[in-house]
Amino acid sequence: MAARRSSRKGAKASGTDGKSAADPVEGAADEAAASKDHHEFVAEAEEILERMFEDLAELHDQRHGEAGEVEPDLVNQIFRSAHSLKGLAGMFGLDAISELSHRLEDILDGLRLGKVAFDSPAVDLLDDGVSLLATLMTRLERGEANGDEEAEMARTFVAQIDGAIASPAPESTDELDALDLDPSLLRALTEYEEHRLKENLRRGRHLALVDSTFEIIAFEEGLSELSSAVREVGEVVSTLPSPGDAPESQIRFSLLVATEIDVQHLAARLDDPTIEVQSVKEGRAPETAPAEPVTSGPTVDPESDSAPDSTPGAPEPTAADPLPPAGAGGGDAPEIDSLRSISDTVRVDIRKLDELMNLVGELVIQRNAIGTVAQRLTEDAATARIGAELLKTHKTLDRKLKELQTGVLDVRMVPLRQIFEKLSRVVRRLRRDLGKDVDLEFNGADTELDKLIVDPLVHIVRNAFDHALEAPEERTAAGKSARGRIAVSAFQRGNHVVIEVEDDGRGMDAEAIREKAIARGLISAADTLSEKDVLNLVFEAGLSTAEQVSATSGRGVGMDVVRNNLADMGGMVDLASTPGRGTTVTITLPITLAIIQALIVGVREERFAIPLNSVLETMIVEPEQIGRSEGREVLNLRGEPLLLRRLGEEFEIPCAGPEERQFVVVLGMGEQRLGLLVDRLEGQQDTVIKPIKGPLQQIRGIAGATELGDRGAILVIDVSAIVGDIIRRREAA
Amino acid sequence: MRSLLASSLEDLPTPTKIVEAESGFEALRFLPREDFDLVVTDINMPDINGLELVSFIKNNEKYASIPLVIVSTEGSERDREKGLGLGANAYLVKPFDPDDLRQVVTDLLAASGSEG
Repeated sequence: MAARRSSRKGAKASGTDGKSAADPVEGAADEAAASKDHHEFVAEAEEILERMFEDLAELHDQRHGEAGEVEPDLVNQIFRSAHSLKGLAGMFGLDAISELSHRLEDILDGLRLGKVAFDSPAVDLLDDGVSLLATLMTRLERGEANGDEEAEMARTFVAQIDGAIASPAPESTDELDALDLDPSLLRALTEYEEHRLKENLRRGRHLALVDSTFEIIAFEEGLSELSSAVREVGEVVSTLPSPGDAPESQIRFSLLVATEIDVQHLAARLDDPTIEVQSVKEGRAPETAPAEPVTSGPTVDPESDSAPDSTPGAPEPTAADPLPPAGAGGGDAPEIDSLRSISDTVRVDIRKLDELMNLVGELVIQRNAIGTVAQRLTEDAATARIGAELLKTHKTLDRKLKELQTGVLDVRMVPLRQIFEKLSRVVRRLRRDLGKDVDLEFNGADTELDKLIVDPLVHIVRNAFDHALEAPEERTAAGKSARGRIAVSAFQRGNHVVIEVEDDGRGMDAEAIREKAIARGLISAADTLSEKDVLNLVFEAGLSTAEQVSATSGRGVGMDVVRNNLADMGGMVDLASTPGRGTTVTITLPITLAIIQALIVGVREERFAIPLNSVLETMIVEPEQIGRSEGREVLNLRGEPLLLRRLGEEFEIPCAGPEERQFVVVLGMGEQRLGLLVDRLEGQQDTVIKPIKGPLQQIRGIAGATELGDRGAILVIDVSAIVGDIIRRREAA
Repeated sequence: MRSLLASSLEDLPTPTKIVEAESGFEALRFLPREDFDLVVTDINMPDINGLELVSFIKNNEKYASIPLVIVSTEGSERDREKGLGLGANAYLVKPFDPDDLRQVVTDLLAASGSEG
């Protein structure tokens, strides 16, 4: 891209020259003011002009490239630059520059709409025009401009443009009418979009319609994700919104897409059953050499270190290609390569990642078994040598497995920091829309969460902002600060990640919700529900649309959707609220399939696993150290009483008598402490917690089961349930 | 451009609340929030185009009766025809006289009988 560099230098040079000589003030205050104005103009216009130089160089590269096709967005970009320059010059009363920009804009508009061909002499005039603009600006900056000369220069040039643009024949729309497309979509295409559609047809690309439905209050995130996925392999010609199946709350978007890959491959790439992809017109395999990528975004070639400098249209063929060739004919393969090089990201179905995680879990268990075998071999003199070798291999396997574990987990997890950034953007926009101001606080940005949490969380924060926070006047009247506050905190609690969204808004009116719920038939008037249960009714489908409760409770939009999404992930959502003071929504999510370190303990014949991250310490206690307080066993732990509980009793296993020496496992959950008495400590181990199905699932205090390699399955203690229960019992007593 | 539109409409005969949307997407989000009596839209917007917005409004039972005015620099006959064909009530070509816009809006509001 030599042309691009040299022209950029040219643009800079003219600017710098101007600045170094910008000291021409001589006399009249008017002139000084004008010079200051001009300086201001040049400072702003210089940037636009520099970009035009660069983009034009790129345009020539593309037009002379093998495919001979210019990216539509590049033309749009230059068009916008010319338009901005025209406006800017107009504001400063610089007629010549404004007129000249205006005429360049005409050429560019013609190019966008297909009314001026890329091989027209008018296109070469673009360069001359931009150079002339640079000259005019330099004269201005140096104080050499007198107006008349500039006007004359512009006039001469404009005449050249007029000579070069032939009056175009209007494009016919017959070929579009012949397409298998909903007329309402065709009717909403602008002239520009019609032209893009025809251009893509002319180039033999596949046309497809990609339909997806979104919740109206949060459609932009999902839609922009979909559009960028599509843009990786093609061009979005138009985006038509229509009412969704639930017109009150949903919106549907139909993307008309032109791609080099056929509809099956497009659907496979998007890989989302909720997205409908249908073919509008089959493309044809290109007859000539590989076409350049149709993308409108920047192209990144992972094979090359200097991606932007690689020649468009001539990508290096790569050996491994995950995409089967599109269409028929041998000429396809290099083309797919060129498409593949556009993006270095892949979208993967999250279920496939789950399967991988499961597999890794199985491997961890096998590794533990190998370790045990190796250990046994080393203990026998006859096999000690081979055992030692196996142990060494086992260590390497162990290290690699850990890397694999981290790798697979990483793919699924996203630090909350990223979600926070997204939430900040959402709130910034809401701030503008709703005229409310808010302090957004984030805690625990490094907690890693499953990607699926993003949507429900955005939904909840939106709700807090939209419905819970009062308008500034209302807040002031209630004696609160005019700015609202929303705090999002994430932290780990045992095997769960907890996310709290706390607002200081108007809170919820339990009585109003109860009345609505009765009116809706969700509960009967005779039902006695705790206030908490009543509040949680907003998660019921029948109660969760805006009109039904928001006026009184200030909440409830799409909360059933939130709850269902979270339930799909194995999570829970809970709500607490004080009228006038605010609401806290608490999401509890399992750390899905994570591999955790567990302490293996024994009680009589049974063994249990306790997640190590809730174990603070372990120690031996002699029977005489155990005291009693209010009928409960306690231990004096460095001067603090520690409540004790026999693990055996929890699960009705005959326990050690009080005369036996025991081990105490000190568990910590937030501020709470509990000592769990067990017979044995058997060491620690990597375990994968698997959910239990069937009757055992109901037992409180069991988080799941895990396999111990050679020694069968054991139960994993749910520390939060046990500690929570015991603390509650104590409080009740 | 938006604020120019808004200021043109500030001194309508009937006091009118003007809500400005920065883009087509923003307009889509605003629609369910209030009962709008009239929508003025440009054709060229960064996300969806004005015709698509018109199509959405006209295809949605809840909004179909809202009068629509398209304001655009694109004086091209095609876009004008399309806009009106989709159900827009008026089409103004930029640069337009603010008085013309006021007149068009006042007439449409009067005709739909829902001023205010």
